[in-house]
Amino acid sequence: MWTYNKKLQYPVNIKNPNPKLAQIIITQYGGPDGELGASLRYLTQRFSMPYAELKGLLTDVGTEELGHLEMIGAIVYQLTRNLSIEQIQASGFDKYFVDHTTGVYPQAAAGVPYSALSMQSKGDVLTDLHENLAAEQKARTTYDNILRLVDDPDVADPIKFLREREVVHYQRFGEGLRLATDRLDAKNFYAFNPSFDKK
Amino acid sequence: MNKREKLLRNLSSAQFAVWELHLYLDTHPSDMQAASMLAQYEKKCRTLTEEYEENFGPLTPKFAQGVEWLKNPWPWENGGVCD
Repeated sequence: MWTYNKKLQYPVNIKNPNPKLAQIIITQYGGPDGELGASLRYLTQRFSMPYAELKGLLTDVGTEELGHLEMIGAIVYQLTRNLSIEQIQASGFDKYFVDHTTGVYPQAAAGVPYSALSMQSKGDVLTDLHENLAAEQKARTTYDNILRLVDDPDVADPIKFLREREVVHYQRFGEGLRLATDRLDAKNFYAFNPSFDKK
Repeated sequence: MNKREKLLRNLSSAQFAVWELHLYLDTHPSDMQAASMLAQYEKKCRTLTEEYEENFGPLTPKFAQGVEWLKNPWPWENGGVCD
């Protein structure tokens, strides 16, 4: 189970609304490499993960990703406060507005709703860890691209924090992969799948 | 930055240190130096959490704190133009 902490992992204080930017950043809420998919991926993969360190790592990183989901939600919410109908029309936010008003909805930047097809839980230690290493890099690239499009320091600051976390998680998953292969047959890591095959 | 925001920032940085060390220990479980650093930051967190909760209400849901728990602001409402 989980207990809620009534604070963000890192502060989000945005002064100026910017619906155009909100439509881009929402992709890290419900897009293919977003925080919803990240937390779901790790928290779901845990059930078939055989090694204690990796069960702990997936639990902890998956939990942190839920905190990141909350941060992205806060960014999108703060970027879409107090909008006039003129601002909504001029920024192209009207297509989002007609379906969700200014409610936060899990979708990609181009409007595609969140899909679990963008993640995998394969029930194979090596496959799942490689999935996670790739996922952290895809999220890092997305944050790099967001930073190329952001000129408001209030927005760039928490995005830079989130980008950095992807790098740290990548490092931890790399160490997790090493811990896993250390326990497998060095001549053929794929000889058996410790999540399924019995020795 | 008001007193609440300042305290929240100090607490967040101590919590961040705890969390970062905790993640590190997932893949380096026998690193005693990291474990003792974690214990130090945890102590700091406890003190700062107490100070925050005394002044600004609970950070985690506890029994018999209905009205206090529901008090604004919620985390996503901090700062900005319309609070």
